[in-house]
Amino acid sequence: MLRFLSIIVVAVAALASRASAQSVDPGRLNVVATFSILGDFAKNVGGDRVNVTTLVGPNSDTHVYTPTPSDAKKITDARLVIINGLGLEGWLQRLVKSSGSKAVTVVATKSIAARKIEDGHDHGPTDADPHAWQSVLNAKIYVANIRDALMAADPAGADAYKANASAYLGKLDALDRDVREAVAKIPPERRSVISTHDAFGYFAAAYGIKFIAPQGVSTESEPSARDIAAIISQIKRQKIPAVFLENVSDPRLIRRIAAETGANIGGTLYSDSLTDEKGPAPTYIDMVRHNIKALTSALSS
Amino acid sequence: MTATAQLQFRDVTLGYDRHPAVHHLSGEVVPGALVAVVGPNGAGKSTLFRGIVGILKPLAGVIGLGNLNPRDIAYLPQTADIDRSFPISVYDFVGTGLWRRRGIFGGLGKVEQARITEALAAVGLSGFENRPIGTLSGGQMQRMLFARVLLQDARMIVLDEPFNAIDAKTSADLVALVRRWHAEQRTVLAALHDMDLVRANFPETLLLARSKVAWGKTSEVLTQENLLAARHMCEAFDDSAAPCVDTSSQAA
Amino acid sequence: MIYDALIAPFIEFEFMRRALAGVIALSLGGAPIGVFLMLRRMSLVGDAMAHAILPGAAIGFLLSGLNLFAMTFGGLVAGFTVALLSGLVARSTELKEDASLAAFYLVSLALGVTIVSVKGTNIDLLHVLFGNILAMDDQTLLVIAFNATITLLVLAVIYRPLVIECVDPVFLRTVSRAGAPAHLAFLALVVINLVNGFHALGTLLAVGLMILPAGIARFWSRDITGMIGIAVASAALSGFAGLLLSFHTKVPSGPAIILVCAALYVISVLFGSVSGLVRQLFPGRHLEA
Repeated sequence: MLRFLSIIVVAVAALASRASAQSVDPGRLNVVATFSILGDFAKNVGGDRVNVTTLVGPNSDTHVYTPTPSDAKKITDARLVIINGLGLEGWLQRLVKSSGSKAVTVVATKSIAARKIEDGHDHGPTDADPHAWQSVLNAKIYVANIRDALMAADPAGADAYKANASAYLGKLDALDRDVREAVAKIPPERRSVISTHDAFGYFAAAYGIKFIAPQGVSTESEPSARDIAAIISQIKRQKIPAVFLENVSDPRLIRRIAAETGANIGGTLYSDSLTDEKGPAPTYIDMVRHNIKALTSALSS
Repeated sequence: MTATAQLQFRDVTLGYDRHPAVHHLSGEVVPGALVAVVGPNGAGKSTLFRGIVGILKPLAGVIGLGNLNPRDIAYLPQTADIDRSFPISVYDFVGTGLWRRRGIFGGLGKVEQARITEALAAVGLSGFENRPIGTLSGGQMQRMLFARVLLQDARMIVLDEPFNAIDAKTSADLVALVRRWHAEQRTVLAALHDMDLVRANFPETLLLARSKVAWGKTSEVLTQENLLAARHMCEAFDDSAAPCVDTSSQAA
Repeated sequence: MIYDALIAPFIEFEFMRRALAGVIALSLGGAPIGVFLMLRRMSLVGDAMAHAILPGAAIGFLLSGLNLFAMTFGGLVAGFTVALLSGLVARSTELKEDASLAAFYLVSLALGVTIVSVKGTNIDLLHVLFGNILAMDDQTLLVIAFNATITLLVLAVIYRPLVIECVDPVFLRTVSRAGAPAHLAFLALVVINLVNGFHALGTLLAVGLMILPAGIARFWSRDITGMIGIAVASAALSGFAGLLLSFHTKVPSGPAIILVCAALYVISVLFGSVSGLVRQLFPGRHLEA
């Protein structure tokens, strides 16, 4: 009986380890990206020559991510690690050290002019706002940095990387144009929204839509009457046309605020990560398009 | 059932968890009778009354009420399951005796109000109208329950040890009420312990010791030998008892 | 100054007016029910009911997704079923009301958790079901007002049998058949008030505004009509003051209302004219007669 059981255990372990092992394809370059947006860029530039693994998957929050031992393994197996920098991945240093990896780390935000954080979101020791990808122009710099890093790690594929990047950059240019056009259609006095996200600083700077934090509303707990009164007064005073308050848990509360101020309720805005395949923002370009659509439809009517 | 009987017991057995507390009782009560039900503790008197009033279903046999609606029987239970901490006044509590006439919505007209006051006076509780029932003594509680029975104006009245915890003066007053009911042709059954009171006021007696020991004229029932026989009844239930064989067909 | 503090918030903000209307309607319906719950020693029923409605809400969710109406309806059905079954069992067997209800609500809760995990979702269903008094939209206000009206009407009908059932249940059984239906109707009212209260205001407010005012009333009145009146008044007053508290400070609205109510309760325990602690310590000179 015991012999039989131990055979079962060994077999299961073998299967498990087979299953969790990376499909190490000797022909491809192993790249690890810290989160979904970087992973998307990497796939677009690298194409078939790379095998991209993402640590923080879709719909997850990079700020509060705690890495697992399997993440360390992924880094050990990788040749290139792409990080955002600007204080986004506070947990990364220790992970790289503990993995003892020989991989090259590339900071995707190199040479991007960083903004300062406006409010109290805790990003660790630096004061910089890490959400640089929100501006499509910055995204182009991301892509360029990634391309260069790939070329350095895999000189044989340099031409492919250049071509892929070029094509993708073209798409990003088109995206940037579309966003500007869309914003231009919004009357200037209506270009402000209330949002609990504090991740749109770069977007606001690049495209001219003001993102205003609701006064006092903490996203986890129940708001007091004073908080609600403050939001309503703020919206009325500053004539803000739309509200994106998805972190407030009761949709009826948002509707009440909207009814009392005449503001529109916006949909969901995606900022910190992509969604999975079935969601509205599975790639970076989709994400930006979705956001600008949500913004324009809330602000134009 | 005899045309004139108010209450009929046909081989009635009442009990708890299949153990009989009243065992194979048969007999009749005529309308307007004044019957004392006596017997040692555990004789089944309260159980019998619960059966009459309809709270307890017989384990065997039938209790016949003739044309009397069980809801028209006034019942004064022994240990009242009354919540004395409930915020209700004596007046309102006694007023519930008018339930059959008022129903759910009926208000208290002048007539009803007068009757409540009268009932309270008859039991010596005038002036107690606004007292919360929780402040009454045991004797006052009993008198209040008597007042409610008065108001119920029922054709049959069943009293379970109504004179417990009452002083002699009050007893006398309440016995006078019972005699008044008897004079009004109501049927009255009362479970009692005080033999002197029974001999003095009740013409008919049922001596019960789980089964009938004697039933008839009080003087003939309350003899030394009958009382002795009743005392020999065993009070506790026998856990090893076998199911009772139905002997009624042979007896009849 | 007083005007600014006490009246202006309601004049200026519609959501405050609606919240006040909602809390007053809830007081009218819930407080009398709470008095009876207290007198029948069923004060913890509210908490039990909150868990009992879960499978109903879960089934509503399974059938119609995050549809508030379906989930509320499901919650009502589950609540009724538990209330009625436990009431029936308590009346026809040796098991008393509290144990009967405990048994059924636990069964209900276990069912609810099972259904939710079979479906495999992480959403905290009960959170979705529970509302917020600052978010009174037209539909919810209508529901609460309707609910208060129904409660008062039904209560008027079953008032007498309910009272007698509390005081002398044996007597009621001997004179009327109204005891059982009245009791079941009462349980139904409890469920309606609780489920609608959750939906509109959240667990804390709904149960709190039922039970605390009843406790307060106990210390100021010796008869049941007085108790009901005081209960309604203290619930409404707590609502008014609590909303103002939430308006002038950072305290969320639901807890603010309950805090005010609790403060009133403590005052009553200490200074109430009926068995208040201070009264008991210093009873004053006895009367002549």
